[in-house]
Amino acid sequence: MSKLLKPGIAILSALILQVTLLPAYIADPFKPNLLLIVVVWLGLRATPVRGALLAYLLGLAQDSCSGLYLGLNGFSFLMTFLVLQNIAHRLYADNRYLMTLAVFIATIACGLAHLVLLALFSAAEGIYASLLVSLIPQGAVNALVASVVFGIVDAAQTEEVA
Amino acid sequence: MWDLIKKYRVPFVTGAVVLVAFLVYGSNLKHRESANFFERGVLTVLSPLFSVGAVVSGGAETVWNDYIALVDVRRQNRELLEHLRTLNSRLVGEQEALLANERLKKLLELKEQMPAPSLAASVIGEDGAPWFKTLVIDRGGKDGLQEGMPVVTSAGVVGQVVKVAANSSRVLLLTDHASAIAAVVQRSRARGVLRGTGSRRLSLEFAIREDDVKVGDQLVTSGIGGVFPKGLPLGEITMVKKGEYGIFQTIEVRPMVSISRIEEVLVLLKQRNE
Repeated sequence: MSKLLKPGIAILSALILQVTLLPAYIADPFKPNLLLIVVVWLGLRATPVRGALLAYLLGLAQDSCSGLYLGLNGFSFLMTFLVLQNIAHRLYADNRYLMTLAVFIATIACGLAHLVLLALFSAAEGIYASLLVSLIPQGAVNALVASVVFGIVDAAQTEEVA
Repeated sequence: MWDLIKKYRVPFVTGAVVLVAFLVYGSNLKHRESANFFERGVLTVLSPLFSVGAVVSGGAETVWNDYIALVDVRRQNRELLEHLRTLNSRLVGEQEALLANERLKKLLELKEQMPAPSLAASVIGEDGAPWFKTLVIDRGGKDGLQEGMPVVTSAGVVGQVVKVAANSSRVLLLTDHASAIAAVVQRSRARGVLRGTGSRRLSLEFAIREDDVKVGDQLVTSGIGGVFPKGLPLGEITMVKKGEYGIFQTIEVRPMVSISRIEEVLVLLKQRNE
């Protein structure tokens, strides 16, 4: 129970933080995408079926609080998860720095996926300008936050094992 | 004589001493403002000792004032700091209440001016993605909200309701790329469509080259499309560019509402088919 409860609370807190607190204090391109960090973690560490389901649900949760297009983040989070799952066994996924780099790359990849999907299927003209400008700052911020989060998670796991 | 002195030795010596003392006193009455050799001698001998005494006394006073008498000052200081913190937080709270009161008063004035019934709502969340511009408000379907309802503040149009849940709704801001509002220049009645650009500026599209549009002109809703009532403030024109070719002019608009500072809004409860 506690195994599910703790991550559940962490994810819920991340979502609440992302919608309420962070936008109030952080300027636009520098708001971190906490749920994407969770997806990267899932991609590198979780089991395929459960991880994929959770990644997709996280995307839908993100879509419910962001933008107009339900399924946009659902799709891009799922794709990110699947790509990471496929390459995770070739990587040293326990390395915190590698996971941080993966978050940066995943942010850029997700942003580009949004760009393609929005350009093809939405009427939001000119969105590419805001999106491209925000990608690198958001990737950097996500990587920074990820390094802290993964550090905390690793420390907690080490303590549990000890 | 000697025997007499011997017999009354004590009274005699005492009398002599008293007499000398009196004479010393008497002789110095004339020169009371100047020191004689005795006084000078005493002062000369004792002044270094007085200095040492003064230093010791000063030290003792310092010890008393700065340490012994201040035993309670640390505690008192802590109490005063605590008191100061309480007063400061109360002051901030009162200031906050005052500002909220002013904002709500303006909102109430606006509510009274509006022809359609309206509902006040508080902003409870913002969009996490930098490329989408939406807000979350604390009113939803249970309060009578529907998709497409206009959202305004006392400064002007904020956007429109896009996704309605039972107790909360999402508002598409006029700065979002997906937002398009039929607008008219208040002075010249030139028409166009105000589109969001994802930044703090808006773009007035489809304004014909020949239309009279100047920097500083106010832009209001035209009422066309039926979503927004006519005449609501949208923004101020900050840039007009007419190229050598093309049918339309490029117009940049600054929204009247400071999007990043919205805390309370008014939702106009207008039915979709009205």
